[in-house]
Amino acid sequence: MTSVDRSDAGENQAPRKRELALVSRSTYLKEKGLQYLFFACAFLAVVTVLLIFAFTMMQAAPVFTDIGLANFFSFTWAPTEGQYGIMSLLAGSGLVTVGALVLGVPLGVGTAVYLTEIATDRVRALISPAVDLLAGIPSIIYGFFGMVIIRPVVAELTGGMGFGALTAWLVLAIMIVPTITTLTIDALNSIPMGIREASYAMGATKWQTIYKVVLPAARFGIVDAVVLGMGRAIGETMAVLMVVGNAPVIPESISSPVSTLTSQIALDMSYSSGLHRTALFGMGVVLFIISASLVGIVRLLSKMRKG
Amino acid sequence: MSVLVSGLGSSAGIEAVSNDTADIATSSRGLNAQEQDLGLTTIPIAHDGIAVIVNPDNPVQNLSVDQLRAIYAGEVTNWSEVGGEDLPIQLVNRDEASGTREAFKSIIMDGAPFDRRAAVLSGTGQVRDVVSRTRGAIGYISMGFVESKYAQTQVRAISVNHVEPSEKTVASGGYPISRDLYFFTKGEPSDEAQGYIEYVLSDEMDDQIREAGFIPVSNDAGEGM
Repeated sequence: MTSVDRSDAGENQAPRKRELALVSRSTYLKEKGLQYLFFACAFLAVVTVLLIFAFTMMQAAPVFTDIGLANFFSFTWAPTEGQYGIMSLLAGSGLVTVGALVLGVPLGVGTAVYLTEIATDRVRALISPAVDLLAGIPSIIYGFFGMVIIRPVVAELTGGMGFGALTAWLVLAIMIVPTITTLTIDALNSIPMGIREASYAMGATKWQTIYKVVLPAARFGIVDAVVLGMGRAIGETMAVLMVVGNAPVIPESISSPVSTLTSQIALDMSYSSGLHRTALFGMGVVLFIISASLVGIVRLLSKMRKG
Repeated sequence: MSVLVSGLGSSAGIEAVSNDTADIATSSRGLNAQEQDLGLTTIPIAHDGIAVIVNPDNPVQNLSVDQLRAIYAGEVTNWSEVGGEDLPIQLVNRDEASGTREAFKSIIMDGAPFDRRAAVLSGTGQVRDVVSRTRGAIGYISMGFVESKYAQTQVRAISVNHVEPSEKTVASGGYPISRDLYFFTKGEPSDEAQGYIEYVLSDEMDDQIREAGFIPVSNDAGEGM
C-alpha cells in the first residue's frame, strides 16, 4: 500500500501531458485489480458447477458398479428391497412437466402478448408488477396453496384424494407463468416496430398482426422462454412434493398419486443411506443432464436467432 | 438445562445420536439389525397404539389384521369387499423414514410389500387431514393424534380384530397394533441427558404423556429402565 502511495505522489509531479495519455499507476492497479476480482466472481460460477457435478458424479458412481444400469433404469423404485429403478420417477417428472407446460405456456405467452401488444399503460402498470410478484413467491407457499386450496377442489372433481399429476399441473402452471411471460415480453419487445407498422399498412388487423407477424418473428425467443419454463417445472421440488402424493409408480390416472425425481430425492434424503443414497445422487445426475441439455438448447436457439 | 428438539423421523434421530450430533434420539421403533451394532442404549419411555383411521362418514367399524394387510398390499381395493359401501379405497401410507410405518409394517404386513400406488405423506398431520376430508380414504396414525384439539375435521379410529384402540387395550396388549416409544443414547447417557431422561420418566410427567395420547411406561411394574 505505501509503495503505491509513494509512486502515486511521484506521478503527480509528472508533466500534465502524461496524465492525459496514461492514468496514474495507482488507478491502473485499481483497474487491473477490479478486472481480476470480477473475473474471479465469474469464474466462481464455472468452478461451482464443475464441483457440484464432480461431487454428484462421485457420489453416484456406485450406480454403475453396485446397482447396475439395468436396475437403475427399471420401473420399480423400492429401496428397502434393493430395487432402485428410476423410470417411473422419470416418467412422473415428464408427465408433471409436460402438463404444466400445456397449461402454463398459453397462459404465459398470452399474458406477454397482452402486455406488450394490447394493454394500455394503465393496465400494464397493474399487471406487470403482479406477474413479477408471482415470481417472488417462495415455492413452499405455492405448495401449501396447492395442498390446502387446489387439492380439495381436485379431490371434489375426481372423487379421489386430490394427490396426483393434475394438482401438480395446476400449481406448476401458475409457477412457470412469470418465467415464460418475462422472457416472452423481452422477445416481443425486441421485434422492431417497423414490422408491425408494415403489417398494419398492408391492412392487417391487430390480431392478424400478432398471430401472423409478431409471434412468428419472436418464435425463437418464445421457445427460449418455454424451455426455461420447462427447466423451472422439472426442477421444482417442494411445491410438487406437497401435491403429487409421492407414489413411485406409473399412475393409473392424472388424479392418482405419482412421484417425481426431485420430490423423491427430497423425501428420501433425510434418512437414506448406502446404495439408496447413491441412487438419489444418481437421480441428481440425471436431473443435471436434463437441465444441462435444456440450457444447451437455449444456447443453440439464441445462436440461430442471431445467425 | 436447555433441550433442543428437531423432528425428522426416527431414523434421522438414531443416525444423529450414533454420529454424536445429538445426545438423545427419540424413536417410535426399536433398533433394526444394522443399528444394533452402533452401541446405543435403549430406554423405553411410553407405549403407543397405532390407530387405523377412516373418514367419519365411512360405515366400516372393524377390520381384521388380515383384511388390513390385504388392503395395504393392494389386494382389496374397494370398501364393499370388507363390508362397506361400493367405494374405491384410497390408501394413505407414511414415508419410509416414519417409525409409525415401520411399526405398522412389522405388525400388520407380515412380509407382504405395501401397495406402491398408495399416497405417501410425510407427516401424521397430513395423513389425518387427508383422511378426514376424503370419504374413501384409510390411513394409520399414532393413537394420540386421533382426537385433535386443533384440527377442525374429524377422523374415526376403527377397531382391529374387534378390539377398540384405547389406553386400556393397548396397555393390556389386547389391541394388536401397538408399539413402544424409546429414547436412545450413545453408550451411557451424559449427566445432563440422564437428568432429562429421569425427568421424562418421573411420575409428574405421566400426566403429560397421557395428555399427549400415549401411555406412560412407568405404570407397568417390572418394566421401566
